[in-house]
Amino acid sequence: MKLSLEGIGHGFLGRPLLEDVSLILNDGEIVSLVGPSGCGKTTLLAIAVGLIDPLRGRVRRLYNRHAMVFQEPRLLPWLSARDNIAYGLVPRGLSRLRCRDVAAAKARAVGLGQMDWNKYPAELSGGMRQRVAIARALAVQPDIMYLDEPFSSLDVGLKRILQDLVVRMAREEGFSGLFVTHDLVEAVRVADRIAVLSSRHRGIVEVRTVPGRPGERDERMVFDLVERWSRDAVFAELFDGEGRCL
Amino acid sequence: MPRLGWLGRYLWGGWASATGIFCLFALWQFGSEVYGGFVLPTPLRTFAEIATIVQGPVFRDVAAQTCMRTFLGFALAAGLGGLAGAVAGYSVAAMRLLKPVVAVILSVPQISWIILVMIWFGATGTTPVITVTVAALPISFAGALEGVATRDRSLDAMARVYGVGPLRRFATITVPHLLSYLFPAWTITAGTAWKVAVMAELLANAGGIGGELATARTMFDIPQVTAWTVIVATFALITDYGILHPLRESLESWRRAGQPRDAAP
Repeated sequence: MKLSLEGIGHGFLGRPLLEDVSLILNDGEIVSLVGPSGCGKTTLLAIAVGLIDPLRGRVRRLYNRHAMVFQEPRLLPWLSARDNIAYGLVPRGLSRLRCRDVAAAKARAVGLGQMDWNKYPAELSGGMRQRVAIARALAVQPDIMYLDEPFSSLDVGLKRILQDLVVRMAREEGFSGLFVTHDLVEAVRVADRIAVLSSRHRGIVEVRTVPGRPGERDERMVFDLVERWSRDAVFAELFDGEGRCL
Repeated sequence: MPRLGWLGRYLWGGWASATGIFCLFALWQFGSEVYGGFVLPTPLRTFAEIATIVQGPVFRDVAAQTCMRTFLGFALAAGLGGLAGAVAGYSVAAMRLLKPVVAVILSVPQISWIILVMIWFGATGTTPVITVTVAALPISFAGALEGVATRDRSLDAMARVYGVGPLRRFATITVPHLLSYLFPAWTITAGTAWKVAVMAELLANAGGIGGELATARTMFDIPQVTAWTVIVATFALITDYGILHPLRESLESWRRAGQPRDAAP
């Protein structure tokens, strides 16, 4: 077990958002958190990573290091791609040379050509920036990677490439992943298990295991599964336009 | 190599600036021909006067005195204003307290400060320094306040996730952002510093370039007045284009990234 959320409750300005939410993340497993926008996915992730202290409940982190990929790349505009990748290594106290080596290796791993290493974020495309953000997360050799709708602004093709990249890296380096998304197709492609959040119930209504292993499922199977689940009452809120808190 | 390229572009851009300045000289020449050389000495007459002044015995001491005072006043204004502004940017309570204070300081005429400080400190070199500090401080304060208040909190959250400590976060996230607010403020601060320093020297009878201007006034030596004016303006321009601009360029080279190649410096 890597992470355990126990009876988490939270809200903003007296309005409850999450009530008694529990979730366990096992070694080497990727769990997707799906749900409609405004249901508290990002808040739950921020609680798990420690950016927000929950009002109720307990977070147990049974690991040393975590990393996070945000919805926006969140790169420092004044650092080159390579220095951005090394940014997470700053508190580690590694030598400059060592940081640069690690950054170069991770840049290569996410498919960033050497000619892009010294470019500033403003000179990179949206996809490239998100690759840099993933490389920054990989560089710290995390035990868990938190991902907050990291690919929602990318086109379908690029989305798949980067999803596969994250899944492959998780397998190779053995980290677990907590992957927030509102896209059921994405969740089915990358996850071992899917936790469904509901804004009506202010918490997780069901956790489902996806058959097969992430990265090995064929497109037909993903499509059929999403098709079938989209008529399922559990996922109704994802596809439903009514009763939304906008 | 990129630095050399930048220097080349910077100097080349100087041609355009030079053209503008020569247009100004042409206008000046025209004015002196219309109103007569006694009221407005020609540029040439002024430059001859400058040459005499520069070769004269007092120039070095007088110029050094004013430079020192301006620099001290600027450093105090930039330092204290920047520090107070940064603190106010972090703390809402401090901002509420300091903002009106600074607004009041800003609305007090500089001439009143000169008289007050003159009474407090006498006709010494302290008067111009304090006046410069008080006159220029609010601009630095406002710049730093705005810079810290508009820092990117999402980058801060990112750094916190990666375990970067508060000092490191300040240095790597807040400071680079702050600089882009401080440099324009410092440009204005420096310009104000020169003008106020000379004004304070003149009124407080505290020597320096202002003192020379006072003498020229009593002697009704108009070419002296225009000559010293051009000298002060030159010093101000050197501060801006010779020091602040290149400094900003070297610290903010990332800003030019992603912009069209021929964007003017």
